[in-house]
Amino acid sequence: MLKLLELILKALAYSSGIALGAAGITIIYMATGTFNFAHASLVAWGFYIVFSLYSILGGSPYYYIPLAALFSGFLGVLIYVTVNRRLLKARATMVTLMMSTLGIDLILFAFINIYADYLTEHYKLSAARYFVLELKDYVLGYVGETPIKAICIVAPIVMLAVTLSIHAFLKKSKFGIAMRAAIENPSLASVLGINPEVVYLTAWFMGGALAGLAGGTLSLVISGHPAVGMETIVTFFSGAIVGGLYSVFGSLLGGLLIGLSEYIGIYSLSMAFGGGVLVYRPMIPLLIMAITLLIYPRGLAGINWGRIKAFLTSIASRGGR
Amino acid sequence: MMEIPPLVLNILINFAIGLIITLSLNLEVGYAGLPQFGRVLAVLVGAIAAGAIPGRILAAMMGKPAGAEYAYHLINYRLVEEINKVLATNPLLSAAIFVLTLVFAALLGGLIGYVTAYPAIRLREAYLGITLLAFGDALQIIAWNYQPIVGATQGVLVPDPFRCIGAGHVRFVSATFIILGIAILIFIFIEKLGRSPFGRALKAMRDSEVAAKVYGKNIPRLRAQALIVGSALAAVGGALWAFYTGSMKAITYNRLVWTFWPWAYMMLGGTGNNVGVLIGVLVFSTVRTLIYSYKGLLTTIIPVNPAWLEYILVGLAIVLIVMFRPQGILPEKPALTLPREKIEKIRESIKV
Repeated sequence: MLKLLELILKALAYSSGIALGAAGITIIYMATGTFNFAHASLVAWGFYIVFSLYSILGGSPYYYIPLAALFSGFLGVLIYVTVNRRLLKARATMVTLMMSTLGIDLILFAFINIYADYLTEHYKLSAARYFVLELKDYVLGYVGETPIKAICIVAPIVMLAVTLSIHAFLKKSKFGIAMRAAIENPSLASVLGINPEVVYLTAWFMGGALAGLAGGTLSLVISGHPAVGMETIVTFFSGAIVGGLYSVFGSLLGGLLIGLSEYIGIYSLSMAFGGGVLVYRPMIPLLIMAITLLIYPRGLAGINWGRIKAFLTSIASRGGR
Repeated sequence: MMEIPPLVLNILINFAIGLIITLSLNLEVGYAGLPQFGRVLAVLVGAIAAGAIPGRILAAMMGKPAGAEYAYHLINYRLVEEINKVLATNPLLSAAIFVLTLVFAALLGGLIGYVTAYPAIRLREAYLGITLLAFGDALQIIAWNYQPIVGATQGVLVPDPFRCIGAGHVRFVSATFIILGIAILIFIFIEKLGRSPFGRALKAMRDSEVAAKVYGKNIPRLRAQALIVGSALAAVGGALWAFYTGSMKAITYNRLVWTFWPWAYMMLGGTGNNVGVLIGVLVFSTVRTLIYSYKGLLTTIIPVNPAWLEYILVGLAIVLIVMFRPQGILPEKPALTLPREKIEKIRESIKV
């Protein structure tokens, strides 16, 4: 029972990180139609910013999570300015846009490795190619014998705060409304004096920052190494796709669903079939994504929620009479 | 046999395998317009076929364990050594088992192509691309963890059908040229296929599905056929690579090497143009092999590990191609059909 509590706490922290990253993919996809493979490296940079600054400057790893978000956001802006803007102007196809971000991902991946080598050589950080920051996390208290790690509380709070602020930004602020308009219809929005380029730039910054934030939070949950982004990217994709790719909240929910089911699902499977199934954990997000897509080819957002709501209310009102 | 420097040999084998995989990718992406981000899936199926099938057939013939225990590495390593001794003295058996395995690989590859056609008919663009990518990753996870098929993390040894030609250098030279020959045959096949009514129907579907439908083309069927043929060829490529290296470990069949790099080769050469693809593969495999071979020398010149240089180079190439020359080195040309006189001659011959 106590083990279950530990598992649930860890699953919460993990799935909050996945949800943040999935939301980042969706924001960029909604605004520019680019399915961003470079997200893998943006997340991995989040890991490495937190790890290296914490190891060199000391203090608490939590200080550096915002910096990780800023850095990856800056990388996102760089990707937009150097590559994506030109391709969007040339009206490149979706596959071309995807491939361009794949090329960028390979370059950023190489730079993470060079950075890790540099950390090993100049700062004598022997852990630079494989680190476990989870051990440095604070323990807030104990429930029975289960330690409550700080990240298990912080990550869900960060996730909720991000959800609320994105909601407020898109629905209430003038720029957010302009942004939604430009995403829906760029030419009509530009007639009204909205510059779509600023909107794309902001989307890339937000997407990159969310990737960095995801990397920073996850660095306290799972072990980090240069290929960590490449390994987790399919999980982020699954979250974004299950969420439907057209709604930030959908992808946050999708990411939560994928992350939770990865931990809880494999735990219940291992209860049923023994510990041998534990190694197949990375397959769970893939399976959930495949099943969701085969039933709803446009993800959860493709379901006509309005109709379901109307159906439910009609049942409710009939029941009430 | 003449002496060929190992460097040239490495370039040739990387070129041959890369050509097979990239041509199969070109059929699905360049001709049919499917976002095939899961090329590794079919390649891995071919490699699994080479790792699991020929050794088991020969072991059964020799009265040795051929079931799940065949893949257990302590048994497997010794058993395959024995099998190789038998194969070394028996060229006919070697050739038969080689061809049989390639046929099996192609059949299994075709089957997996048929399976992937199920989502490919229903999903579009990014959704389809990521689903295919997920399929490839899923099979890799299974092959890497499920021991009874191909030995999971320990991998299995693959029986060596080239051993009967000679040992050491001679073996690698002959294997390289046999695989190169197969790659050229596949090139001719794909080139012919691309000019056939089937190939032109694929291009029509890629350019405008509605127009192709109006002319009576069955779109789901065309998509499925492109996937089946492409996956079968990629599986042959995977099986050949497993035969060449003599071992099969699932971890080496990752999406970076077997999906993304072929994409880069194809885009450099020219999507939809087989000759362009050939040039793209040649350029990339030469550069990559050179970087890999001169790692030691490069380390003295540049301060970083040359392995990362390779990533930067491939990444930069992809970005520059999509930005400045999206059509690649050799842009796609309209497929030429038979000249008019020839068609009239055929008509004459049919009339009689």
